[in-house]
Amino acid sequence: MKLYERLMTIDRRIIYGILLGVVTLPLIFPSVVKVTPMSPVEKLFTAVDNTTNDKALILDCSYSPQIKAEVEPMAIAVLRHAFKTRKKILVLSLYVEMIGLATRAINQVVEEFNSNAQTYEDSLIYGRDYVFLGWQPPPIVPMLGMGESISNIYVVDYYGNQTDTLQMMERIRNYNDISILVALSGSRIPISWVAYAQNRYGLAVGVGCTAVSGADFYPYYQTGQFTGLMVGMKGAAEYEELVEANYGVKGRRVASEAMLSLTYAHLAIILFIVIGNIGFFLHRRRK
Amino acid sequence: MKKTIPLTLIFIAGLLGVISFVIPHPSYQVYDEWIRNDLLRVLSAFAVVLALGSLLRVHFDKIKRKRKNWQFSWLLLIAFGGSAVVGLFGGVAADGVLPTAVGSFQFDIQTLYENIVIPLASSMFALLAFFMASAAYRAFRVRSMEATLLLVAAFIVMVGVLPMGYSISKHLPGFVQWILNVPNVAGQRGIVFGIALGVVATSLKIILGIERAWLGGGE
Amino acid sequence: MNISTDPWIWISSILSLAILSFLYKENPFFRAAEHIFLGVANGYLVTFYWHRILMPILFRPLFQQGQLLLIIPFTIGILYLTRFIPRISWLVRIPIAIYMGYWTGVLIPATIQAQIIKQVQGTVLTSANFQSWNAGAWGIVWSVIVFIGVLCTLSYFYFSREHKGVIGVTSRVGIVFVMIGFGAAFGYTVMARISLLIGKLQFLLGDWLGIIR
Repeated sequence: MKLYERLMTIDRRIIYGILLGVVTLPLIFPSVVKVTPMSPVEKLFTAVDNTTNDKALILDCSYSPQIKAEVEPMAIAVLRHAFKTRKKILVLSLYVEMIGLATRAINQVVEEFNSNAQTYEDSLIYGRDYVFLGWQPPPIVPMLGMGESISNIYVVDYYGNQTDTLQMMERIRNYNDISILVALSGSRIPISWVAYAQNRYGLAVGVGCTAVSGADFYPYYQTGQFTGLMVGMKGAAEYEELVEANYGVKGRRVASEAMLSLTYAHLAIILFIVIGNIGFFLHRRRK
Repeated sequence: MKKTIPLTLIFIAGLLGVISFVIPHPSYQVYDEWIRNDLLRVLSAFAVVLALGSLLRVHFDKIKRKRKNWQFSWLLLIAFGGSAVVGLFGGVAADGVLPTAVGSFQFDIQTLYENIVIPLASSMFALLAFFMASAAYRAFRVRSMEATLLLVAAFIVMVGVLPMGYSISKHLPGFVQWILNVPNVAGQRGIVFGIALGVVATSLKIILGIERAWLGGGE
Repeated sequence: MNISTDPWIWISSILSLAILSFLYKENPFFRAAEHIFLGVANGYLVTFYWHRILMPILFRPLFQQGQLLLIIPFTIGILYLTRFIPRISWLVRIPIAIYMGYWTGVLIPATIQAQIIKQVQGTVLTSANFQSWNAGAWGIVWSVIVFIGVLCTLSYFYFSREHKGVIGVTSRVGIVFVMIGFGAAFGYTVMARISLLIGKLQFLLGDWLGIIR
């Protein structure tokens, strides 16, 4: 077998094995990687930070289980940030298959905070500090309807409570009482938030998306339709870094832990492409 | 009648949708809110009943006719039946009439979701990393100027966006951000315009009854 | 190494491995896991549609609180089920027409505003756009590049005339921008796919086998 043939016909099992190796080893033998936040993430962080006491923040956890690894760290980082700075927060999902992930993220972060709380005031109290609105279909209903009345759309919350009886909801009636909506998604949902809620009610929209959508979303970030943008696991790691650096919130940083594996895997993929192309050039030259 | 009524309805409903956006007057908003909050919400729920009915019918049919791999349809039906009973009678937040724990072992609907749906769905997508690596190695060939540009841009983003970008050069992450903000925005925006015009044209065709594929086959 | 003793973690891990076994080839374990996924996911869906939509939005207000206007959506919704009765199955078109019609109707102005007008505003050469880059005089250069890039990209997708002469030149420039955009998207896609694999391994090696923290 000629060299170029060898270079062009590496068995897929070897490729799978190398990829598995370069991803696994840095997880088993981790080392610290410094993550430097980029401006789109910093802008999102600042926008969440600037939420005033009289307003609330909406976190839309519309990411499916398939992309949990990329987007869940974003949800956890934003929740840690919001809870640490005592922002009022409403959580929702636009699709039913995603609501369990929102439940998971809320339970995890609330438990983190409440296990360290000394007093009732320090604790995160449901209905006082946060409300889990749950889910109402189809997405256009909450997107437009919350502009008029949040409790008309979410008559009952996730737990089955009448939403308008919750303490926090006395002051939070519609988008006028919302500083920013952070849409975490793996689809075009953030664009729908802009098209419906922002166009009609002027709602500020910040976005956390999978890396697949990252490049597509930049035109909306450039126009200011998206206040800030977190892209993929790296975006999540940047937000984790900002939360820890600015507020000293300690907790497992799943996205940051993955940076070394991600780096080696990228290098491996580049190497695969280069090897394939070297074989291709040698082959073409012979022809 | 079988086509005229649906086509008239879609025209009227489409018009109501457009009006709701163009005339955000409170007197009209009351009706618009009723359409969205009551009508659309209930319709979406019944649409799910239809989808589920179709899914179950396909699998019952598969079992009845003993089609290829029919045994697996039993698994689907048992998994569906079991989780539906747990969810319907055990409640959304384990607050129903059915007990959802035996000792410390919980089996409420959220537990089923976290331990069955999430791992299965995430594993399916984890497979893609292997296929993507293999496909990139086999198919990504620098045959033209366009392919070279694509490859160079991809490599710069792959290297520069990660923490190693800073190690190579402190200017590299900034350069990647520039690529994403400037040339990428220009290229993507051209595509955004194309998609948006396509969406508007298709929507108009549906409302005006020119596009009728949604009617399905038959009379 | 600190292997989990939680039975659910074991179930999750075994199901995950069944799916990952597809890497070798399609097999009965993969198929079984796939069918279990569909079953449980739909059971979950039914739970929420019943407890959070049909009960609080339709049945309770209609039958307990006497909101009779809800008979209209209820009746139209029932028409979805005529799909299973061949003689009157055409009636399923009525709820589809209303649902789809309203949705597409709202979509038209929303798309024009968000994806055409606002995007044009972000492209034209105005002082506000120059300043939005926060890059001083370079902001003008970046805005000009975006402006030219968008026009050239559009000319590349303009197929009503042959790509010769001026359009030939602009479309060649346009393809450069498109390819840079696709390249960036590809780079990010690699990151996305690898991230999902990392997530899976973090679960298997961490939560299950306890090899990593």
